[in-house]
Amino acid sequence: MARDPIAELVNQLAKLPGIGEKTATRLAFHILGAPASYARDLAAAIIQVKERIVLCSRCCNLTEADPCIYCGSTRRDRSKICVVERPTDLRAVEATGEFRGLYHVLHGVLSPLEGIGPDDIKLRELITRLQDRDDGDPVDEVIVATNPSTDGETTALYVSRLLGPLGITVSRIASGIPMGGDLEYTDKATLGRALAHRRTI
Amino acid sequence: MELVHLRVRDFRNLASVDIAPGPRFNVISGHNGQGKTNLVEAVYVLGSVKTFRTQKNRELIRWDADRAVLEGLAHRGDDERLARIEVCGDRKEVYLGDLSVQRLADFFGTLNVVVFTPDDLSLVKGSPSERRRFLDRAIFNLRATYAGDAVGYDKILKQRNAMLKGERVDAVLLDVYDEQLALSGGRVASARHRFVEQFSARFAAAFGEIFGGLSATVTYESPWWDRSALPETPESAPRAGRILDRDDALVSSAQDALRAALARRRQEDMRRGQTSTGPHRDDLRVELESRSARTFASQGQQRALVLAMKIAEVEFFESERGFRPILLLDDVSSELDRARNRFLFDYLRAHDGQVFITTTHRDHILLEEDVVAYEVEAGNVRQVE
Ligand SMILES: Nc1ncnc2c1ncn2[C@@H]1O[C@H](COP(=O)(O)OP(=O)(O)OP(=O)(O)O)[C@@H](O)[C@H]1O
Ligand SMILES: [Mg+2]
Ligand SMILES: [Zn+2]
Repeated sequence: MARDPIAELVNQLAKLPGIGEKTATRLAFHILGAPASYARDLAAAIIQVKERIVLCSRCCNLTEADPCIYCGSTRRDRSKICVVERPTDLRAVEATGEFRGLYHVLHGVLSPLEGIGPDDIKLRELITRLQDRDDGDPVDEVIVATNPSTDGETTALYVSRLLGPLGITVSRIASGIPMGGDLEYTDKATLGRALAHRRTI
Repeated sequence: MELVHLRVRDFRNLASVDIAPGPRFNVISGHNGQGKTNLVEAVYVLGSVKTFRTQKNRELIRWDADRAVLEGLAHRGDDERLARIEVCGDRKEVYLGDLSVQRLADFFGTLNVVVFTPDDLSLVKGSPSERRRFLDRAIFNLRATYAGDAVGYDKILKQRNAMLKGERVDAVLLDVYDEQLALSGGRVASARHRFVEQFSARFAAAFGEIFGGLSATVTYESPWWDRSALPETPESAPRAGRILDRDDALVSSAQDALRAALARRRQEDMRRGQTSTGPHRDDLRVELESRSARTFASQGQQRALVLAMKIAEVEFFESERGFRPILLLDDVSSELDRARNRFLFDYLRAHDGQVFITTTHRDHILLEEDVVAYEVEAGNVRQVE
C-alpha cells in the first residue's frame, strides 16, 4: 500500500486518454507546484463530475438534471431525433445551430471485434423511446449522425433496419466529412452542410 | 517518370548516398550483401511509403542511427516534385517539398514505381493472397479511390468474422454486414475483373516476347460470381485512361452475386465462424500452355511469368496514365537462361522508361548504351565508367 504519492498521481493521470507517462509526470509536478487550493479544487471538480452528472433517462446524454436541457426544453422540435455516438458529438451538432430537435446518445458504435454488440450501446433505450410515441415525443424522423467511419456506417444502417418497422423516416447525415474523420473535430461549416444534406437510408 | 536525384541517409546499410540517376538504365553492380537491394528498396519506399521486404519500420534504419532519410527529386514532363520520407522509430514522416503530408493519398503518385525482386516468385508459386495483393496494388496505382473500397471491405469482413466467431450472432447486424460487404466487395471484384480483362493481353504479349512460342494467360477467378452472362467488353469501347472507370452494370452484377452468395452460405458461415466466400478468397489464375503455372511451371518459367506480369503492369499503367513508371529490377538475370536473358534486354531496350537493375555479374546485363553504372561496396555507392 503506502505508495509514493507522486508515482500514484502519475499513474492515475497516465490512464487518461492521450496522456502518456511523460505528460502525466509533467502534469503531476505542475499540480505539486501549484497552491494547495488548486489541488483541492481539482479534486473536488473530479469528484463532483462523477457524483452530479448522470445519464438523461430519455436521451442518454450526460446531464446534471434529468431530463437534460434538450429533453426538458419546450422550444425544441420534438418530431426529430439526432442520434450521435458520444456526448462530444452532440455538442458538435448543437454548435452548428442547424438542428433544433432532440438527441439520442449511443455511447459507442457496433464493433464485434472490440466485443461491442447491440446490447452494449444505448440502442434499446432508443427503441423503447420510439415505441411509446403515444405517451412520449411525436417523432417522425431519426437522423443518424454517427461518424463516417466503417463502424459508424454499420451502426447507422443497423439503426435504420431497427426503426424501419416503426414507420419512422431514418436519414443519414451527408458526408462531406472526410472518411475516417471524427465528428468532434470537424469544422462547423462542414458539419452544418452535412446535416442540411442528410439522406434517407 | 524519372528519378533525377536520390539522397539516402542511414537507410539499412547505406550511410550516405547522393546520386543523379540517368534517364534510362541504371546498373547497380556489387558482390553479395553489399547493399544493392537496399538501394532499390530505398527508391521503392520513396514511391510507395511501404517496403517490399519486412513490415518493421525499425529494420529500415541503419543499426547505429535513429533516423533514416530518403529524398528523391522526380520529374514528369515539366512537373518536378521533391519527395522526402523520414523513418524514425515506428513512424514514417512524409513530405512533399517542405510540406508535411498528412493524408498519404496526397502523396501517392509522386513517384510511381514497379518492382521485380527474387521474392516475387511467390506471385506464381505462393498462396492466392499474394496474387490478390498484386492485383490490388496495381489497381490502386491506377485509381487511388480503389483503396477505399478494398480497405472498407476488409474492415467489414473482420467485423463480420468476429461476430460469427462470438457467442451471439445478431441476425439484423449480420444483414447489415452482408449488405455492406456486397456493396464494397462488388466494387472490388468488378475493378479486379476489368483490370485482369485488359491486363491479360499485355501479359500474354510480354511473356510471348520473352519465351517466344509458349502461351500464357491470366484470369480472375471468382467462384461466387457467374460472369458467363456478362456482355464482353468490346475491344474498342474503353478509351485509354478510362478502362477502370466504374461500369455500373458490371458493379451491380458483382454486388448482386455477392449478396446472393453470402445469403446462400450464411448457415455454413455461422457454423464455421468465418466468411467462406467473397473477393477475399478470389485468385488470379496463371496458366502456361493451358495448365496451372503454380503446379507445372519450372523455376525459370515462373521467373519469366512474374517478369511478364511486371512488364505488363508497366505497360498497362502507361496506357492508362500516359507515362511510364520507374521499373526496379532486382537480381533479374539469375535463373534466366541466355536466350531468355537476351529477350529481356531486347525488350527493355525497345521500350522507353527509367530502369534500375542490380546484378552481381555486370556481364549478364546486356546493355551498352544509355547506361549509368554504379558499384556498391559495404553500403557505399559510387558511379563508375
Ligand atoms: N538496418 C540495417 N542496418 C545496417 N545494415 C543492414 C540493415 N538492414 C540490412 N542490412 C545489411 O545490408 C546488407 C546488404 O543487403 P542487400 O540486401 O542490399 O545486399 P545485396 O547487395 O542486394 O546482396 P545480394 O547480392 O546477396 O542480393 C546485408 O548484409 C544486411 O545485413
Ligand atoms: Mg540483393
Ligand atoms: Zn435528454
